[in-house]
Amino acid sequence: MIEVKAVEKKYGRKKILKGVSFTAKKGEITCLIGINGVGKTTILNAIMALTPINKGQILIDGKTLDKHTFEKITFIPDAITMLPHMTIAEAMEFMDDFYHCWNQERATELLGFFRLNQSDRISSLSKGNTAKVNLLLGLALDVDYVLMDEPFSGIDMFSREDIANVFTSHLIENRGVIITTHEVGDIEHLIDKVVLLDDGMVSKEFSAEEAREIEGKSVIDVMREVYQR
Amino acid sequence: MTVNFNNRDPVYLQIVRYFKEQIVNGVLEPGEEIPSRRELANRMKVNPNTAQRAYKEMEEQGLIYTEKNHPSKITTDQQVLGNVRNELLVEAVDMFVTSVRSINVPVEELLDLVKEKYKANVDKEA
Amino acid sequence: MRNYLKLVNFEFNRVAKLFAVLLSFTFIVQVIGVIVQSKSYLNMADKKIYEEFMPKAQFLESFGHMSFFQIIRSVWFLGPIAICIAGVGFYIFLIWYRDWLGKNTFIYRLLMLPTTRLNIFYAKITTILIMTFGLVAFQLILLPVEILFMKTMVPEEFRSDMGVGELLTNMPELSIIIPGSFVELILYYGTGLLVVSVIFTAILMERSFRWKGIFAGLVYIAIASVIFILPLLLQEFVLNGYFYPVELLVLEIITGLIILAASIWMSRFLLTKKITV
Repeated sequence: MIEVKAVEKKYGRKKILKGVSFTAKKGEITCLIGINGVGKTTILNAIMALTPINKGQILIDGKTLDKHTFEKITFIPDAITMLPHMTIAEAMEFMDDFYHCWNQERATELLGFFRLNQSDRISSLSKGNTAKVNLLLGLALDVDYVLMDEPFSGIDMFSREDIANVFTSHLIENRGVIITTHEVGDIEHLIDKVVLLDDGMVSKEFSAEEAREIEGKSVIDVMREVYQR
Repeated sequence: MTVNFNNRDPVYLQIVRYFKEQIVNGVLEPGEEIPSRRELANRMKVNPNTAQRAYKEMEEQGLIYTEKNHPSKITTDQQVLGNVRNELLVEAVDMFVTSVRSINVPVEELLDLVKEKYKANVDKEA
Repeated sequence: MRNYLKLVNFEFNRVAKLFAVLLSFTFIVQVIGVIVQSKSYLNMADKKIYEEFMPKAQFLESFGHMSFFQIIRSVWFLGPIAICIAGVGFYIFLIWYRDWLGKNTFIYRLLMLPTTRLNIFYAKITTILIMTFGLVAFQLILLPVEILFMKTMVPEEFRSDMGVGELLTNMPELSIIIPGSFVELILYYGTGLLVVSVIFTAILMERSFRWKGIFAGLVYIAIASVIFILPLLLQEFVLNGYFYPVELLVLEIITGLIILAASIWMSRFLLTKKITV
């Protein structure tokens, strides 16, 4: 389980996170939703110790992050994480070099899944394919937790479909996933849990199926209630 | 196996309903193997946990059964199958009645119209 | 350790192109320098001896023999060295900032590697050292080659030949990059390593705290510099030469090691606790 406990974060004088708490379980897809600039990416960065927090605590399976944690959790940012001049094959080799948990078989499978060409250079890829390479490099690690920042933003329709297919496949099965998005529409059926962020706080944390079953509300209905209050 | 889910009903119940329809239509036959949970999630584009939940629900309702190390199968229990047919029928009629109620039409007139339309529809399909 | 070596290999490959450019630039410009200098000497000799009929002995007396010294003194020779120094100096900053800037955000990957983050620091500083030593070694190999070049161009009676060793001892400018003794080598390159580690720490301060970090970094550089020259200042102004030179040297080495340790400790702290992508 990933536990984010009362996390506060300031940028200069501006408090961007004002005590954010939520949990994300293994085997579940947790979706962080909020308008742009609400600090979703900051939360993911903080979990990975890519940015310091001012207050609070983040635990991964009960422990704070250290170098070994990176064999257990991975982060797929909305940015290129390899050098532009590298080919996809070279990027995969780099991962294989450093990570014990790199799964070459799965990487090869993902290449096929996303219809990527190993010899393509990262710099030559479309936005959609760049996102797929990022996903490939993250998902081919045998890690328990995967964090994804805006995996669907700014991507063509067919790439979106390909990426959405990841969520319904064995590539995700049994892992704990946190994804951020500002647009939940077409992934509503893919997620287990929703964490709504507003004004630097968690305004609601709920199960998508429960909201539908108990309250008869879609995720968007709940969002509307929370954000248009 | 593509389903247009609505956003306000639990997805797992929509899956269960889809299976019931398929059974009643005869698309799924009693004793027929159904896809694994993982496969279903993949084909229906739903979360694997939701597919799991749908299967659990169907097992509880006796719609499917699983023998050890085998894929799940549609039940052969005639009583359960009959109930499903009944359930869908009653549900559909209920919905029809509710919507027609507001027009306030005598029941005989309504039944005649239903017969006429139903016949035309069957002819068209044939 | 294995991860450190892999990172060094990786970092060096990233700079290999720039490194190759610096090497070839040095080679080409210095060799052109040898040719140009030799030619101009020979042209002058031609003019004086064959046009103005100056006796050869008199020519040699008034204009001297052609020695490699003249070449070393020229901008053809020192220019490329200055450019290489500038290149390495520039890369000390670029080696960090290139991971953050532009569309490329490789820093995410580096910071998420399952290895201690200090290895990134070590790998980058090692890369700078390898570049520096590589350039110096190349210059050392290049010198005899260039001397040979001059020998083939200028006839023996116009030359005064010098070995590489002799050249170096006569060129204080060169003795900094190519020290004469082992102690000097340790001293010069140790100081260089120290400077790079302090600059790296300042860069990491900037990367951690941005604007405030620039200020902190400059303060850190200032403090480190003051501490480093403190023994010298005390010796000069307070203790009136109390220490023997050897003692002072040892004191300086200890001070240097302390600053190096502080920089590494601080960088480790920043990389694990304060860095921001």
